[in-house]
Amino acid sequence: MKKSKQPVERELGERSFFSRIEPYLYLLPFFIGITVFTLYPVINVVLMSFKEGYSHLSRSFDQWGFANYQAVLSDPKFTQAIGNTLKYVLLVVPISTCISVVIAYLLNQKLRFSALFQTAYFLPMVTSVTAVGLAWKLMYNKNFGIINYILSFIGIDRIPWLENAAWSIPALVIFGVWNIMPFTIILLLSGLQNIDPQYYTAARVDGSRGLRIFFRITVPLLAPTIFLVCITNTISSFKVFSELYPLFNGKPGPFNNLYTVVYYIRYAMMENRKYGIAAAAALVLFLFIFVFTMVQLLLQKKTKKR
Amino acid sequence: MRVILDHVTKRFSDVTAVSEFSATLEDGELISLLGPSGCGKSTLLNMLSGILPVSGGKIYFDDQDVTALPPEKRGIGLVFQNYALYPHMTVMSNICFPLETQRVPKAERIERANEIAKLVHVDMLMNRKPAELSGGQQQRVAIARALVKNPRLLLLDEPLSNLDARLRLEMREEIRRIQQRTGVTTIFVTHDQEEALSISDRIVLMRAGVVQQNDLPQRLYNEPANQFVADFLGNPPINNLPGKIADGEFVTADGKGRCVLPMLAGVENGRAVNLSVRSESFVLDPNGPISCEVTRVYQMGKEEMAYLRLGDCDFRAYIDSDKGLKKGDTVRLSLKKRGTFLFDLETGERIR
Amino acid sequence: MSRQKISKFLIYAFLTLGGIVMLLPFFVMFTSAFKTTQEINRFPPQWFPSHVSLDNFKSAFAMAPFAKYFVNSVVVMVCSVSITTFTTILAAFAFSRLRFPGRSLIFSLLLSLMMIPFEMLIITNYSTIVDLKLWDTIPALILPFTSSIFYTYILKNFFDSVSDSLYWSARIDGSSNWRYLWKVMVPMARPSLTTIILLNALASWNSFMWPMYVISSDKNRTLPWGLQVFTTEAGSHPELLMAASTVVVLPCIVLFLFARKYIVGGVARGGLKG
Repeated sequence: MKKSKQPVERELGERSFFSRIEPYLYLLPFFIGITVFTLYPVINVVLMSFKEGYSHLSRSFDQWGFANYQAVLSDPKFTQAIGNTLKYVLLVVPISTCISVVIAYLLNQKLRFSALFQTAYFLPMVTSVTAVGLAWKLMYNKNFGIINYILSFIGIDRIPWLENAAWSIPALVIFGVWNIMPFTIILLLSGLQNIDPQYYTAARVDGSRGLRIFFRITVPLLAPTIFLVCITNTISSFKVFSELYPLFNGKPGPFNNLYTVVYYIRYAMMENRKYGIAAAAALVLFLFIFVFTMVQLLLQKKTKKR
Repeated sequence: MRVILDHVTKRFSDVTAVSEFSATLEDGELISLLGPSGCGKSTLLNMLSGILPVSGGKIYFDDQDVTALPPEKRGIGLVFQNYALYPHMTVMSNICFPLETQRVPKAERIERANEIAKLVHVDMLMNRKPAELSGGQQQRVAIARALVKNPRLLLLDEPLSNLDARLRLEMREEIRRIQQRTGVTTIFVTHDQEEALSISDRIVLMRAGVVQQNDLPQRLYNEPANQFVADFLGNPPINNLPGKIADGEFVTADGKGRCVLPMLAGVENGRAVNLSVRSESFVLDPNGPISCEVTRVYQMGKEEMAYLRLGDCDFRAYIDSDKGLKKGDTVRLSLKKRGTFLFDLETGERIR
Repeated sequence: MSRQKISKFLIYAFLTLGGIVMLLPFFVMFTSAFKTTQEINRFPPQWFPSHVSLDNFKSAFAMAPFAKYFVNSVVVMVCSVSITTFTTILAAFAFSRLRFPGRSLIFSLLLSLMMIPFEMLIITNYSTIVDLKLWDTIPALILPFTSSIFYTYILKNFFDSVSDSLYWSARIDGSSNWRYLWKVMVPMARPSLTTIILLNALASWNSFMWPMYVISSDKNRTLPWGLQVFTTEAGSHPELLMAASTVVVLPCIVLFLFARKYIVGGVARGGLKG
């Protein structure tokens, strides 16, 4: 009983050669994929972002430095992209969350046809964004689109959703909200199902009803989930790209006015062939995501402790 | 098969779970490893099965040193507390599973499974899944699975503690019956003294990784090796009267209760002792050496349980109902030789 | 009507209205797939096609190799899902059950890699695919998606929940780790595996950005990417575009109708993307 570490080492030492290498054999196929297509790219993209004058043909670069970051941050296109992305996030996340809280609350009531309702509300989650985006494009059509037709009932004149720079953001946001809602509703529903029904009973005994219960009991108890959903949605909305692509024939907006960060990365890489710039832009994107992920982790730790 | 444990020791990073455990388990015996939770009995079982490597000492099955053998090469059967049946397999596939790994031909597998299923009375449940069985039936299947490969040693880890009281009694008898039928050397781990006393050929009582006594069930009860053994066995628990020896007399701690007992002869003066007496070892006796006060009496079946006080010591004794004891009475008692022990108060070592 | 009945009615009315809005794009897509160009370019819109025929589908499939796209999508999905499932099962088992130094440290490092957006990896992965001489080939769509930290994490959580005693029972009965994994763990993990496979299949089927980067020739495109390329050719014929979109979307809808519980359960546990 002198050394406390000794027995552990002994256990490992006693195992046969095969049982010692066995775990690595199980991990090998997994780690080939992870190393080549996740681990190495992460390291490489960080290095790449600091390589000045990188040429993708010769794989050579002039020197290490911050030139790519300077170029990215001073590029009006990138500032525009950040601005558009933030606008998108700040519109999509609150709108989708508010609507989803209400719908999740209603879906959580004991309803008939709940399978039917669930299917209706969750379907956009499994279908290709880019394919459904083409249907949205048709619906947004200025002259024949179903949206302008419905709006005409309340006296609103034809809106040039996809042809006008000012209207293109709302068009994108509405599609984005529709697209992100199923995911949001599902997370909120599972949050609602974790609320102890005793709280509702108690509130009812106290004479509270309907809306009062919703605002005084449901929303406060759901607050941690709502916050988590907001963060996850913020992270995924920062990466907006596939929603944008089908609406404007692959262009970012009718007049290239809707550059987002991911669009900018593609532009820097595929059109300008400036990998260093693309890498720096990707790291700026990651910085945003990293901050929000940290907030999320902190929050999860806090709620777990409770 | 005879099992020999020679100074088997298990150390985890900062605790010694089993310390220098030595014992010989004879062929065909059913031995209980008894002790409170955390006493190292499950650790010992895991070392016997090969799940945990030992930190020191040797394990022999007959003449074979199995200390370094992996579990699958030891030829043992193990039944876990939660039965560990494979939930997606039928009873038949569960019982056949060990034979499949041994590449026993299919026809023989089925035959042996049916045979063992008959022995443990699950032969009519062969096509069910574990979730469709009661706790007792699951237990039987688990035993069948452990026995089907004719193990040299059967290990049962708290096999009855997930069952309700009635089933526990029934399965206790069943395990005994099955063990006697197969004659397999069996080790039965439990924290329940009644289980151990009723089922075993021999009991090894453990505490904090150290063997306290390795003996026949009756001897464990009637001749406890130390204070711990005396305290652990018996229901109601044994009465302990702490005090010391003064001039050949037992004196309670407050000095007010005293008595002279023949067993005290030769015990050195001034030694702090525990006078431990089982409740059934008191006898009402007008000439008895102990004079004490009755504080409470209640009926327990054909006898009465009297709560008595000697000095500052309270204790309980079974008394004949027809004596008509009342609260406040003063009675005189003598002690039977059987069930009366004297332990050292500090070390717990048995003096008489 | 009592107050309760009114509120119940309002709930149903509201949810129905919302449901219609959610399904509207699908309605537009499916009905337009059967309309003529004239029927689409009509105001006020015509809700349903005048007659139903598969002509639009035939024309779309004639104009662009959608059959080829479909086959490519299926091949990519089957390969990537089966390889990923295999690597996931092995890795989850190793992380959950086998002992090796640094196990928990390595696993938490992997978990932290999960927050890296795929967009950030594209730059390097693109070069890697070019270097491997796989640019514009089907394997380029499969290789980067052969192991997933997210699915491994889900499966490991399930494996962790299986009692130790099952493992030791099997070992004592002479079972190797390998046999235990495939005979006991995998059959028991069927619900979790179904969820993983479904989520993975959907993600693969709908994947758009990566094919866009690495596939340029028609014969190697998958459906979502082929569909977007098709928009330039079929720009003046939305009905053909909608017919093609239907082909992309319909398998997923059918899958969802059959496996809603698994998919929704999986999403509730942590999201769509791996």
